[in-house]
Amino acid sequence: MDRNYHVFSDGRLERSDDTLRLVPDDGGEKQYIPIENAEAFFLHGQIDFNTRLMSFLNDRTVALHVFGWEDYYSGSVMPKRGQTSGKTVVNQVRAYEDSQHRRQLAAAIVRGSIHNMRTNVVYYNGRDHDLDDIIEELEAAAARVDKELPVDELLGTEATARKAYYRSFNEILPSEFQLSQREYNPPPNEINSLISFGNSLVYANCVSAIRATALDPTISYLHEPGERRYSLSLDLADLFKPVLADRVLFRLVNRNQISDTDFETELGSCLLNESGRKTYTKAFEETLERTVEHPTLNRKVSYQYLMRLEAYKLKKHLLTGEEYDPFQRWW
Amino acid sequence: MTAADPVDRLLATARGEPVDEPFRVTGVMVQYYYVCERELWFESRNLEIDRENATVVRGTRVDETAYSDKRENLNLGMISLDLLDDGRVVEVKPSSTLTEPAEMQLSYYLWYLDRVADIQRDGVLAHPRERKREPVVLTAERKDKVETAIGGIHEIVSQSSPPPAEEKPFCDSCAYHDFCWC
Ligand code: SF4
Repeated sequence: MDRNYHVFSDGRLERSDDTLRLVPDDGGEKQYIPIENAEAFFLHGQIDFNTRLMSFLNDRTVALHVFGWEDYYSGSVMPKRGQTSGKTVVNQVRAYEDSQHRRQLAAAIVRGSIHNMRTNVVYYNGRDHDLDDIIEELEAAAARVDKELPVDELLGTEATARKAYYRSFNEILPSEFQLSQREYNPPPNEINSLISFGNSLVYANCVSAIRATALDPTISYLHEPGERRYSLSLDLADLFKPVLADRVLFRLVNRNQISDTDFETELGSCLLNESGRKTYTKAFEETLERTVEHPTLNRKVSYQYLMRLEAYKLKKHLLTGEEYDPFQRWW
Repeated sequence: MTAADPVDRLLATARGEPVDEPFRVTGVMVQYYYVCERELWFESRNLEIDRENATVVRGTRVDETAYSDKRENLNLGMISLDLLDDGRVVEVKPSSTLTEPAEMQLSYYLWYLDRVADIQRDGVLAHPRERKREPVVLTAERKDKVETAIGGIHEIVSQSSPPPAEEKPFCDSCAYHDFCWC
């Protein structure tokens, strides 16, 4: 139940008996995609589909994550959840409305997020890079995180840390791939577009993970609910971006597996082209399948499952009052 | 009517009398009371469990297929039990470990039939894998034990948080495993 399938071509996705069939627009060969074990489909091309497909995916509880113009995440079609839990949602809202409780959760997320950024910088520090000053900045930011701070200041602290963190990219990556400045919409250079693409994949995977619980994906703590549709995903994604998206980026660029031929550069914009996106998603999916020994579950779990566990942890905290410890890379 | 005693509250709820705070105990809650109090608390909150968990799937399958030809399901409000052709209440267990929880679940059914519907029945605990059946009769001693359990269940489910997780041999096969230990 945890495989992601990415569709890059344009065409039509349809139900064909008990499987899915992709009929490409360019008259190419039809592809059959097994639906067993599918967690979600990621549609990157222009895809037509009908209600028959939707009910089929709903029955099999498979999600569709849609990437629209310039490959920005544009939305998800989520299967109806098997179980909903009014109690969970009530507790979620209560924690949001209790400002003390909300700050505590927001602070936990920022703490975890900075920790995970720091782990990346520490990993590259000393490997021909001198990143001591950035580590110091991250530590200073982490020291400021306090559950007494208002949420906007917590967000500000996260942003400051992230800025310092992104400066380390210029050190870690080869000189032709420089970030210089993190900008959004449209990403003006290669690294920006890789970061955006990776972050949206992390985000979509967090949407899937939250769906596996009865948590309401629109009620969040660090980000303002409704800021975007699934703001709880934004909260969780912050914890996982350094571990998933950024590590994939460093690996691909440093090993020359991504080069300038994987981008389309036009006036004021730079985007991954299809081959770039394919390379990236392949490495990303491989990363999701990596496993690590879990300290309390006493078994190995995949990186992908860590996102599911994070949703469980939050739900457990909300229902039982047991402490929520944010995901912090421990290996 | 406000009944302080959990047993009275349960009986009033089951008989459809007006109760301020209805109190329901299902068969599975009695079972969990003996297996794991934390699991009981989760069950009382209808906490969603991982249906893909292999053990849960296995447990369900044995239960659905065993004796399916000669049993009839009876739904009585808060409990749902299976009757054999001869009228005995049957409870099927996938394994013979943890016999007490299954036995108490069955005793609860017999007690419930007796106290709520005034029907006296005997029970049989079946282990299809081992081709074994054990009779269970509602003795005075069992009645007491059921009522004590109802009091204990009431106490646990009234708490606003569950008893803390404690590692038990069956945690590994519990549907809440990852939820408890993550
Ligand atoms: S995992 Fe263990 S402690 Fe948790 S509910 Fe199951 S049996 Fe109880």
